[in-house]
Amino acid sequence: MRNPDGVGEGEYRDCMDLVRFHLRVRDGQVVEARFQAYGCGPTIAAASAATEVATGCALKVLVELEAARVEAALGGLPEPRRHAADVAALGLRAAARDALSRVDTRSDRHA
Amino acid sequence: MNRKVYLDHNASTPVHPEVVQAMLPYFSEHFGNPSSVHGFGREAREGLETAREQVAHFLRVGKEEIVFTSGGTESDNMAIKGVAMGRRRGHLITSKIEHHAVLRAVQNLETLGFEATYLDVDGDGLVDPEAVRRAVRPDTILISIMHANSEIGTIQPAREIGAIAREHGIPFHVDAVQTFGKTPIDLDAFNIDMLSFSGHKIYGPKGVAGLYIRKGTKMVSVQHGGEHERRRRAGTENVPGIVGLGRAVEVRGRDMAGEAVRLTTLRDRLWEGIRSRVPDVRLNGHPTRRLPGTCNICFRHVESESIVLGLDLKGIGVSAGSACTSGNVEPSYVLVAMGVPVEWSMGAVRHSLGGSTTAEDIDYVVESTAPLVAKLRSAMPARA
Repeated sequence: MRNPDGVGEGEYRDCMDLVRFHLRVRDGQVVEARFQAYGCGPTIAAASAATEVATGCALKVLVELEAARVEAALGGLPEPRRHAADVAALGLRAAARDALSRVDTRSDRHA
Repeated sequence: MNRKVYLDHNASTPVHPEVVQAMLPYFSEHFGNPSSVHGFGREAREGLETAREQVAHFLRVGKEEIVFTSGGTESDNMAIKGVAMGRRRGHLITSKIEHHAVLRAVQNLETLGFEATYLDVDGDGLVDPEAVRRAVRPDTILISIMHANSEIGTIQPAREIGAIAREHGIPFHVDAVQTFGKTPIDLDAFNIDMLSFSGHKIYGPKGVAGLYIRKGTKMVSVQHGGEHERRRRAGTENVPGIVGLGRAVEVRGRDMAGEAVRLTTLRDRLWEGIRSRVPDVRLNGHPTRRLPGTCNICFRHVESESIVLGLDLKGIGVSAGSACTSGNVEPSYVLVAMGVPVEWSMGAVRHSLGGSTTAEDIDYVVESTAPLVAKLRSAMPARA
């Protein structure tokens, strides 16, 4: 995604998983979310599901996103693979925070 | 519609139609207990002993030297613990890349007071026979080195290791589950005292295997009960399975040599195809001294499970060299022992070819792998 409004990463060092999200935001809402992921199949799937969860979601809601929401979007994960939802939620929250901070910065400038 | 391509023959094989036909009467017609003296029992016994002859003929050994078991794991445990328990204490030599059935059996003996040396392997996965010689101690009671590793297919210098074992009068056990029926094994020339083999790797049924025990090898039984298998392995024999194993071995005797040549060509076609289409790949295992149908490839900076899942969607069955469980990625201990760096070993994929594999299958796998790996790499974030 070119010139995203928010970028965030989630990392799970134990298994070298890395997920990165790029968000396009309009009026405080995500209109487009893209991901890049390095990790096992469930991690890639969780990152993909997380972009669907994010689309249409308000940033203020997204900064509180819980892993369970991502996991539910996947229809559940086996116990040993729960970290896939954790790392995706972690990355998405970071991207949402980044987008919010840019909005705040812009607001400051306007003030 | 997707093709179906099975390239996981080192995990298991389809049962050969001739094997199924041989087994069928032993489920409902010749169902007796082979230990029974009546006619029903004698029919079952006949099937059992015919299978023993088939295996003994294939290995060119005496039929009384063959014991049937429930699987390669049991065969390995029987050999290792059988020798150790007969000695009560002592030192064992094995390698770091053995199957878990050997590694954990030896580790279990360590908890009971035995000592063990786990030999390193080189970058191709080979055990150095001279390292075996250096590891020998006056109290060494067993040398257990596999013939070929299931992940990488590297075939060990069993002849040289066997010569060292014989020189020192130490029993030599070989886990040959991956080579039995695929490459020739000369038990006398290699000085092998015990050899584990299995049915389901050679188009026989699962749940049946065997252990060759050279006459005069000192060991005790580790499973107690009835008088079965010359008191070496208590428990009513799996007659249909054993009959199937016997027929499978007979079929291998007929097909083995031709198939080895064919699979070696296909294996090399696969590697050449992948290497020419996909950047940043490496072949694991010895370039030539390797099982005919085994091709283990590392895709750098890609996680093997993603490739396995992606190929599965294309109808292709391969196996991953690393597994992620409980949030920890564990690269294959075999590749770790070979010194393969983690950014490579995480992306190891094993392709194991077999009787049904065709050149078209191989081309389909290459054509499916190249865009999949490119896609996974393009979706991969660059690390800071």
